[in-house]
Amino acid sequence: MIESQRHSYHLVDPSPWPISGSLGALATTVGGVMYMHSFQGGATLLSLGLIFLLYTMFVWWRDVLRESTLEGHHTKVVQLGPRYGFILFIVSEVMFFFAFFRASSHSSLAPTVEIGGIWPPKGIGVLDPWEIPFLNTLIPLSSGAAVTWAHHAILAGKEKRAVYALVATVLLALVFTGFQGMEYYQAPSTISDSIYGSTFFLATGFHGFHVIIGTLFSIICGIRQYLGHLTKEHHVGFEAAAWYWHFVDVVRLFPFVSIYWWGGI
Amino acid sequence: MAEIELKTAPADFRFPTTNQTRHCFTRYIEFHRCVAAKGEESGDCGKFAKYYRSLCPGEWVEKWNEQRESGTFPGPL
Repeated sequence: MIESQRHSYHLVDPSPWPISGSLGALATTVGGVMYMHSFQGGATLLSLGLIFLLYTMFVWWRDVLRESTLEGHHTKVVQLGPRYGFILFIVSEVMFFFAFFRASSHSSLAPTVEIGGIWPPKGIGVLDPWEIPFLNTLIPLSSGAAVTWAHHAILAGKEKRAVYALVATVLLALVFTGFQGMEYYQAPSTISDSIYGSTFFLATGFHGFHVIIGTLFSIICGIRQYLGHLTKEHHVGFEAAAWYWHFVDVVRLFPFVSIYWWGGI
Repeated sequence: MAEIELKTAPADFRFPTTNQTRHCFTRYIEFHRCVAAKGEESGDCGKFAKYYRSLCPGEWVEKWNEQRESGTFPGPL
């Protein structure tokens, strides 16, 4: 146990999850390529790979929770690892989104003569930014406020209130996803509609995907808070979820201004 | 023998780059907007016609003319 070691670090027990994650990633990528080139068995391999990856995430993170919350291995110095690591992960996600927004600007700021030198291209149906897109910008902002409320509740030791705040966060997130799904269903253009469709749906689609991931993360935090895992001094998992949520929220602002608002004029 | 006058479209400060694609496209559109506003036979549009014919490759002009005829020309005519 932690009392019998004379250092404050965590030497992790051997675990099969890294290799199983690698195998899942291999299956997903190979299956994905097979599927996209219509090879037999591609779809099956892709689905198996994805399921395997998700399973690995579940059991790996469950082990992290067991080692930290239940076995007490996460001292202050150990916590620095996940904290910095998660911040760096978010930085890598910023890079990821930067690429898609750059693609959007590249195509929209100087539209080529092939699409008539105008933006949006002729014939593309554009959504009114001040209807659902605006609402769907205010909703994540409020959800971000709710997660901050939850954080303050945890720091103040008000456990029940923190659960309510996290429920509010998740509900707002689900409403956002619902509206975004509806908007996609009713959208006048599709991803195949010229470079406009490609850049629009790639940027907003990946953002929506990240919202779903953030929602799941917040749900898990809500469950953990309800079960009493989080204390006012030690809640790295929650902080990671909150940072991720704010990141997703800020990312939403960029497409709203540059793609929905400016790009539709 | 008479001096042959060689002229091309004047340098346009809106298009300072070596790549004059946008210049060609803009003149083409200007010509057709002029014709739409002033009529086929008006002499005012001749200037734009000479400009776009000097600047634009023949294949592009043919392609755009076909697009205009079939209603698929993407530019703001």
